[in-house]
Amino acid sequence: MKFLCVPCDEPMKIQETKGPEEGSLTVIFACPVCSRQVALLTNPIETQIVRSLDVKIGGEQAPTDPMRFVRSTLASMREEMPSAGGPTATGSGCPFTSVANAAFERETPAQGAIWTEEAAQRLNNIPSFVRSWAQKGIEQYAKERGYQKITAEVMDEVRDRFGM
Amino acid sequence: MKKYRDIAGDAGSNVLGQVGTQQERLRARMARIRFKVAVLSGKGGVGKSVIVANLAAAFSKRGMQVGVLDADINGPSQAKMLGVRGQRLDFQAEGVKPARGPLGMRVVSMDLFLPSDETPVLWSGPAEEEGYFWRGAMEVATLREFLADADWGELDLLLLDLPPGTDRIPNLLSLLPELHGVIVVTLPSEISQFIVGKSVTVAKEILKAPVLGIIENMAAHVCARCGAEEPLFTGNDSRQMAERLAVPFLGRVPFDPLLSRCADEGTPVLLAYPTTPSAKALSQIAAKVGKALRLPPALLDTEEIR
Repeated sequence: MKFLCVPCDEPMKIQETKGPEEGSLTVIFACPVCSRQVALLTNPIETQIVRSLDVKIGGEQAPTDPMRFVRSTLASMREEMPSAGGPTATGSGCPFTSVANAAFERETPAQGAIWTEEAAQRLNNIPSFVRSWAQKGIEQYAKERGYQKITAEVMDEVRDRFGM
Repeated sequence: MKKYRDIAGDAGSNVLGQVGTQQERLRARMARIRFKVAVLSGKGGVGKSVIVANLAAAFSKRGMQVGVLDADINGPSQAKMLGVRGQRLDFQAEGVKPARGPLGMRVVSMDLFLPSDETPVLWSGPAEEEGYFWRGAMEVATLREFLADADWGELDLLLLDLPPGTDRIPNLLSLLPELHGVIVVTLPSEISQFIVGKSVTVAKEILKAPVLGIIENMAAHVCARCGAEEPLFTGNDSRQMAERLAVPFLGRVPFDPLLSRCADEGTPVLLAYPTTPSAKALSQIAAKVGKALRLPPALLDTEEIR
């Protein structure tokens, strides 16, 4: 897949990858002449198909960990199986694979996150299709700041800071 | 305005280069294997995996270094049939050491990754109901890793146990263009032969690999008391089918409960009960395969395989 800046008739270059969120990866391309940017947003199926190529988006070759693809994509494996990028890893690992894999990790509630009743009620008022994403973001925010509880005030902070 | 082919490279990922590197690693690994042979069937349940396990045993018994790749990603059975399910794969930087089966044969199977008997092969990712979009791609990637990342070492023969059906056969073309041969297993039933004919066509026309021959499994029931043979199916003669398809007929393997019992116990019948009719038939079939591959005399130095 290639992207062409139509006004400049110039191929665009990868500038940045973002995400993933809910199995979708954002790849930002920019025109080297006019700096116009476009973003490619993959749906989970497209992400999975790219994932099956076991390539690194953005370039840079790295030594590969044997059977990394199988170990990083199987939903369940034997306990003794080293994780991809684990003890036998010989390089820095594949950023794309790692972010893609992160996108598909089973969602697990943060351990020890305590929500006050009021905060929990406000969380429930968030539309369901973004609730789990918002919950994870708020818990992460609280954890990074050492907050013991997620209160209405913490949610206000998050809202003021990120517009949630 | 520029067209796709006017633009050299991609946007900076060099995806083709990365895929080329993968293929180079695969080529380097496969270069150390003298013969690669795929065993397939058009229909499931014809006993193809049991045939593979016993062919592996027949060649190992003659001192050949043999590997078995269980390419049936979703229904792996070779680890059980060759008694290696309890082994751990050894992950090293240079590759994954295959499990070691009877007579030192090297075995790689998805079963060696799965935590329990009941665990199916499920991929982390989008919902399974969307799997028809991407499941095939995941299976091909797995097969590529099994071929390229297993440290097979120097092998005389690698047998690939393919899943039933013709749809997966073309996947091999991109992974193993140098396939030395294909063996097709059928039952003497009309429906099995009907579908196997399609597999032969795909092997000949798409894989363009030599079809080493057709094996008829469960050819007849041999009475344990009197030795009389009775047919189990009422299909056509598989030898005639092979002639019609212009491929060699490698032989018949009689129905034998021992074959199944030995598979369950993890030892090929050819090793556990070498004097039974089924073991002898399999040994003779292995000899024909060896001749078709033009194995060097040093590897054909026993009476049984000559």
